[in-house]
Amino acid sequence: MIRRVLFNLMAWAIVLAVAFPLFWMVVTSLKPQSELFRRPPTILPEVTTFEHYWRLLSETNFLTYFQNSVVLSVVTTVVVVSIATLGAYSIVRFKYWGRESLAFLVLFTYLLPSVVLIIPLYLMLVGLGLSNTIFSLVIAYTTFALPYALWLLRSFMAGIPEDLESAALVDGASRMGAFRDVILPQLLPGIISTALFTFILSWNEYLYALVLVNSDNTRPLTTGVMNMLISSFNVEWSLLMAASVMMSVPLIIVFAFLQSYLTRGFGAGGVKG
Amino acid sequence: MADVVFKNVHKKFGDFIAVEGLDLSIEEGEFVSLLGPSGCGKTTTLRMLAGLEFPSSGEISIGDRVVNDLPPGKRDIAMVFQSYALYPHMSVEKNIAYPLKKRGVPRSEQGPMIARVAEMLQLTPLLSRKPRQLSGGQQQRVALGRALVRDPKVFLLDEPLSNLDAKLRGIMRAELVELHQRLGRTMVYVTHDQLEAMTMSDRIAVMYDKKLQQFAPPQEVYREPANRFVAGFIGMPSMNLIDGDLSQEGDRWMFRSGSISVPVGPLVADARGGEACLGVRPENLLLGEGPTPAVVQLVERTGHENIVVVEIEGGLRMTGRVPASTDWKTGETIQMSIQSEAAHVFAAGPTGRRLNIASVAVRP
Repeated sequence: MIRRVLFNLMAWAIVLAVAFPLFWMVVTSLKPQSELFRRPPTILPEVTTFEHYWRLLSETNFLTYFQNSVVLSVVTTVVVVSIATLGAYSIVRFKYWGRESLAFLVLFTYLLPSVVLIIPLYLMLVGLGLSNTIFSLVIAYTTFALPYALWLLRSFMAGIPEDLESAALVDGASRMGAFRDVILPQLLPGIISTALFTFILSWNEYLYALVLVNSDNTRPLTTGVMNMLISSFNVEWSLLMAASVMMSVPLIIVFAFLQSYLTRGFGAGGVKG
Repeated sequence: MADVVFKNVHKKFGDFIAVEGLDLSIEEGEFVSLLGPSGCGKTTTLRMLAGLEFPSSGEISIGDRVVNDLPPGKRDIAMVFQSYALYPHMSVEKNIAYPLKKRGVPRSEQGPMIARVAEMLQLTPLLSRKPRQLSGGQQQRVALGRALVRDPKVFLLDEPLSNLDAKLRGIMRAELVELHQRLGRTMVYVTHDQLEAMTMSDRIAVMYDKKLQQFAPPQEVYREPANRFVAGFIGMPSMNLIDGDLSQEGDRWMFRSGSISVPVGPLVADARGGEACLGVRPENLLLGEGPTPAVVQLVERTGHENIVVVEIEGGLRMTGRVPASTDWKTGETIQMSIQSEAAHVFAAGPTGRRLNIASVAVRP
């Protein structure tokens, strides 16, 4: 009995510890400037205002950054999922020399800390004339999202019985036809969770965005907001919190609808990968 | 006319040999079983016929076309898989329609074709369901329906009944035989279950160790097994195989092993004396009469008969079948003898060839 109570207390303590900063972020974004630094702080705002949101949308580059982030994350996700799906299919279904070593080599690149690759990648992208473009970030994110995506999809792909594809071939489908009609629908949960991982990764990435892109037209949200609201002398707390809330909204929506796929992805990666 | 022909077909996966020197000629409309233990090459053979694997050498033809390089969809075959391989995201109707769709049958013609097959397999009320909402037997029918809807030249069945329970298996066996008679199409059936092969086939191709061992009608495979492996593999309980010596005495051959001494023959012209193997079906072991004393080790009562395992001097164990009315107890000593005119003689080795010319006594 006591153990159960203790266990519950601990679980709730952890939930609170995780949830409180989020709660504080939302509350702060709704407080007027005058109430922000009051001591003792008010838990719930005495006056609720949306002026920070309005200022962010009308007076700053927030919408440009937001648009950049959306383009960047969507394109990266599409590129990564397309390549990883075909790659996983090849690694699982075709038998060729070095197939397993290739798979492990890919995993090995994932083990490298991504910071190590920043300078060489930056120089290569400059050499390609891609510096300061959203596309350079797409390439950079693809390099570190792809290995994980490949492994995740590989375990999903391995779970699809080969007989299904054989049956489609006997029924008159071409290889591509069988892939489209039979494999892809079966792979959908895997594709969705891989897409989610990639999207979240690209949406939240900060370091590469900071190094590779430094014009206001191409900055994504992460670096854009930091650059705009945090300077050496001042932090615009209320705007920062409003921006953070708006940055979180797309992810929260995505999570709410596709959460079950995401947890399935964790399971697949953990058991089979 | 031969419908399906394998001509000296070999299949290797890297260094692993899966099928070796296969020659097989299946007549049009015939029901042929590929029978053998797991790893014998029977499934690889079927997959090569389907076009899912390609032979390393040799030639496979269906009808009058060599199909070696044709993809599965162009071979005019249909296949039922052991796992059924129903498309999980499609309804029963869509599953059955898939081969029609892929072959460009107009939508207006698909409806009646699907309805006909659904009617035949009693699937009509299930057409809108998804495969996971069906029982094993129903899934099996859908898999059959998908194969039947298109009237192909050859049907390939890869252990289609092995996932069903014993009772349903019996029912489906009868249905498949009836279906074969009704359609008159060539069917190639892979199984490791000799009962299925014996009851359904026109001819059985027994495979073992990557090679075809015998290709003959079921009765012939049972009565005149081509070699020691086939002799031991076909029949329940299996044939008693006794290792011993073969020698020529005057104008007749004698087989000796421990206390057993049996006259055998006639043998093939090139038979030699020396190590050999005597094969005796349980029904040809005469228990309760004869010169050899034997101790009863085990009595299995199946209801209509008893299966008795006895041990003779020298520790050799043999199995016999006797009427259910016999009432021997374990440990009891009885007399026995071997019905020598029904015995088989094989050369030494696991696939030692048959040495005796078909014994006249056991012919029908």
